[in-house]
Amino acid sequence: MSSAAAPEINKQTKETVAALGEKYKYGFVTDIEMTRAPKGLSEDTVRYISAAKNEPDWMLEWRLAAYRRWVQMKEPDWARVHYPRIDYQNAYYYAAPKNTPLKKSLDEVDPKLLETYNKLGIPLNEQMALAGVAVDAVFDSVSVATTFTDKLNEAGVIFCPISEAIRDYPDMVRKYLGTVVPVSDNFFATLNSAVFSDGTFVYVPKGVRCPMELSTYFRINASETGQFERTLIVAEEGSYVSYLEGCTAPKRDENQLHAAVVELVALEAAEIKYSTVQNWYPGDENGLGGIYNFVTKRGDCRGDRSKISWTQVETGSAITWKYPSCILRGDDSVGEFYSIAIANHYQQADTGTKMIHLGKNTRSRIISKGISAGRAQNTYRGLVSVHARAENARNFTQCDSLLMGGQCGAHTVPYIESRNSSARIEHEATTSKIAEDQLFYCQARGLGAEEAVALIVNGFCKEVLQQLPMEFAVEAQKLVGISLEGSVG
Amino acid sequence: MKTALAPARREQAASHFRAIGIPTRRVEEWKYSDLAKALGDTAFSQDTARWKLGKLPAGVEMFDLAEANAPDWVRTHLGSLKETALSAASLAYADGGVALRVTGAVETPLEIEFSGKGNLRALVVLEKNSALTLVEKANGDDQRNVGVEILLGANARLHHVRIARANAAVHIEEVAMTLARDAIYNAHYASFGATLSRLELDIALEGQGAQAHLSGVSVLSGEAHADITTRISHAVGNTQSTQLFKKVAGGKSRAVYQGKVTVAQGADGSDSRQTAKALLLGDRAEADLKPELEIFADDVKCAHGAAVGDLDADSLFYLRARGIPESDARDLLIHAFLEDAMAGIVRSDLRDQVRAAVNEALAS
Amino acid sequence: MLEIKNLHVSIGGKEILKGLNLSITAGQVHAIMGPNGSGKSTLSYVLAGRAGYDITQGSITYNGEDLGALPPEARAAKGVFLAMQYPVEIPGVTTMMFLKSALNAQRRARGESELDAIGVLKTVRRKAAALNVSEEMLKRALNVGFSGGEKKRLEILQMSLFEPKLAILDETDSGLDIDALKLVAEGVNALRDPARAMLVITHYQRLLDYIVPDRIHVLAGGRIVAEGGKELALELEAKGYDQIVKDAA
Repeated sequence: MSSAAAPEINKQTKETVAALGEKYKYGFVTDIEMTRAPKGLSEDTVRYISAAKNEPDWMLEWRLAAYRRWVQMKEPDWARVHYPRIDYQNAYYYAAPKNTPLKKSLDEVDPKLLETYNKLGIPLNEQMALAGVAVDAVFDSVSVATTFTDKLNEAGVIFCPISEAIRDYPDMVRKYLGTVVPVSDNFFATLNSAVFSDGTFVYVPKGVRCPMELSTYFRINASETGQFERTLIVAEEGSYVSYLEGCTAPKRDENQLHAAVVELVALEAAEIKYSTVQNWYPGDENGLGGIYNFVTKRGDCRGDRSKISWTQVETGSAITWKYPSCILRGDDSVGEFYSIAIANHYQQADTGTKMIHLGKNTRSRIISKGISAGRAQNTYRGLVSVHARAENARNFTQCDSLLMGGQCGAHTVPYIESRNSSARIEHEATTSKIAEDQLFYCQARGLGAEEAVALIVNGFCKEVLQQLPMEFAVEAQKLVGISLEGSVG
Repeated sequence: MKTALAPARREQAASHFRAIGIPTRRVEEWKYSDLAKALGDTAFSQDTARWKLGKLPAGVEMFDLAEANAPDWVRTHLGSLKETALSAASLAYADGGVALRVTGAVETPLEIEFSGKGNLRALVVLEKNSALTLVEKANGDDQRNVGVEILLGANARLHHVRIARANAAVHIEEVAMTLARDAIYNAHYASFGATLSRLELDIALEGQGAQAHLSGVSVLSGEAHADITTRISHAVGNTQSTQLFKKVAGGKSRAVYQGKVTVAQGADGSDSRQTAKALLLGDRAEADLKPELEIFADDVKCAHGAAVGDLDADSLFYLRARGIPESDARDLLIHAFLEDAMAGIVRSDLRDQVRAAVNEALAS
Repeated sequence: MLEIKNLHVSIGGKEILKGLNLSITAGQVHAIMGPNGSGKSTLSYVLAGRAGYDITQGSITYNGEDLGALPPEARAAKGVFLAMQYPVEIPGVTTMMFLKSALNAQRRARGESELDAIGVLKTVRRKAAALNVSEEMLKRALNVGFSGGEKKRLEILQMSLFEPKLAILDETDSGLDIDALKLVAEGVNALRDPARAMLVITHYQRLLDYIVPDRIHVLAGGRIVAEGGKELALELEAKGYDQIVKDAA
């Protein structure tokens, strides 16, 4: 568990999430001069991005192979999400603030960018920030600042933009990139492999407990631009790291595509805890605008006794298509998935996980809390698969849906596949609504209707909120309440 | 079915099937049942399979679909319910079958048996306030595709027990059903597998107060496969459905349950419970469970549970510690595991029949 | 403090209260007694502002204000407290967390400063001890898995914490054995105050042995049919509701 790391969570994280816990206030646009790749997607676009990043040839070839694969692939249609056809030629695939030096110290960062992150509640100035959380700030297609790199370097932890890692640690990146989510994995992952622009690379050496929480704040700013970040985290034998990502975007009438890939590799007895607060712009109350969030996240428990834990609070995006998964390859490895997905107004969420049990004595736990309000559709889709040699594999799944109002939908699609007779899989699902007597009881004791809803929904989500670092959980509760504003009449 | 079905309707069904064809595993609902592989090189048979009816009790009217002069109730209802590609095939290609109409509360169970190769159709109409107990036997090592339609009028009661047993067979039965106000369908399906065996049910609870209570047991060994796929739609409020399926899979067998419960918008007061459990006894056996909920109304009670595992080690130890030999203890626990799914069979004589079939399958 | 005049209340178009009159001043404890179905719970819910209870005629005036026009949380903030017959379970929300949220919501609505977690904890602990509400109960999810007695004690703890001006106790005695009843009654008596009015709703006389009212009203068929001092309870016990209703007619 993260007991040693949790107290390290500092005020900065707290403030950041506190800021998230208010009405969508990240809708602002930073007016900054941008460099963009020409509109549309072609081999030239891929070459442009690679050149802009000053990448080695192998990386370009890797991207081109992905691109060639992608043009032959079909966009998946099995999820319960509906959206107009995306015109992949009518978007920008690369946008970077001008005058961003490749290797930058904070002094060199454009003050407008620093101000943007300050507005988001993420001070990048190390003197101002209390120690405890190192931040990588990704603005559209580039990382604009990374804090505390020196302190982390002392511990041997590499925490840097992936574009830098490709240049500075090519062997390490080549060894792991695409090994968890192969280039050809799925339509959106392949697209990402071709055009990914920035993201975070984390390497924790053998036996090291990362001395602070790591976090990345993703910000989409430019219009008509997709964001395709790529994150790779490698935890060597016996190491531990806790990583947190937050996402925001301006309010716009258009839909913008976000297709990220996250790969986690946990070697023997290593543990990776990955938390997400996804608060991309969800669109307005009539369903106009919002981010299309098509994300592939997968962790590979490659070593014995390794552990990967995903915790997600998904409140944003017009469409969420996301299944953070664990491949439990090592014997005695552990996978966890804790999820809160809130869909209000016209949001559509299709999210869940895959737990693939390959090794002996592997264990997984899935706790999913879905909340639907307004006219939203919220689907849990999950797979628990136990392969023939996964002796004594164990899974427990609890999947609860809460409906608020008679015009939304809550759906549960679990797949349970077992090919080992000693394995044990248990799945439970419930569907409920906020009972009128619960609301009245709270109101009769003085709570306003929306406060009462927030309280009851937070109770419903408690098991997941508890998984977040403590101070963070307190603030995340506010976000839960805010996301449901306007859902009670 | 020269007179029972209008030629245009028949052609429509044929083109429906031709447009989709034999489902492959890429079709979501056939993910766990590889029909194309089970059929192998043999073409999908266009013969007509056989049916046999026990003594017809008073209050039940029968029409042989192969005969001339089909009565109005047959012409009205045959091919009127929801169809899949395969049930369309049985409608298009079967040259016979049976239609039953129940007008009173019938006490004596009616037995119906399907056998032979090819397509077959059955239609069961329960008029309002009528009741019937239908015992279905599906036997024979053949390739068969049966399409069944069941219509339950207001306050009708159908108790349905199906016992399916085969070895080297490909058996598909697709049942479409609709229930009017306060109608109750109570069913138990015992299946012992085949090369590929699939029972697919599409149940529409269309009248307030309608109820469907399904239970089933599967005992599989060798390379047997048994798939039960249900779709229950709560189209209106105050409807109820329960499902309880228990499966024991030994050898290299494969037990499949896919259940989808849909609650339509506004169907407030719907109540649905769904449980599927499998015991894997063979080292190479497989269980695939997919209990699915699709809910568009908020004032509902819906829950599902699923579990796969082997016998509980503590219980086994407890029994052995009390002096029961391991193999006996295992038998005891397996029977206990299946028993609660059989408890839902209303008539004790039928419950005993299913138990006997289960015991025989477990003993083999 | 509370003035109910010719109150008619319907639920789903069916009239339950049919012209009820009642007046309570500060410092008094009034009891409403009545047979099942007389409208007792309807009265308590309409005072607390539950949705679906439509006032079709008449008025409820509370400290000069039209109570019927306020949402339930505003009534709570203004000092109206209903101890419910069936306290509601809220999974995942700890009792302590709920108490703090409710207390601070009321304070906020009154323009008072919010109390911090430590401050609330201290106050709650002190009051909880008196009512035999354990620390462990405060950590459990609100009312989830509580026994009947525990639920009722928690209701009284809330009453003590929120310090209402008008407390309505709806069948607080239901489901309690004699020891639990005494404990709850002691808690209630400790809260009697010249500035506070209480309305005790009960079917049975036995609660009134422990919480002695200043005035008793008999509710039947949606109207007050008889009124009197505390001795009326004994008369009721002896004669039964049927007789009292007949006598009154």
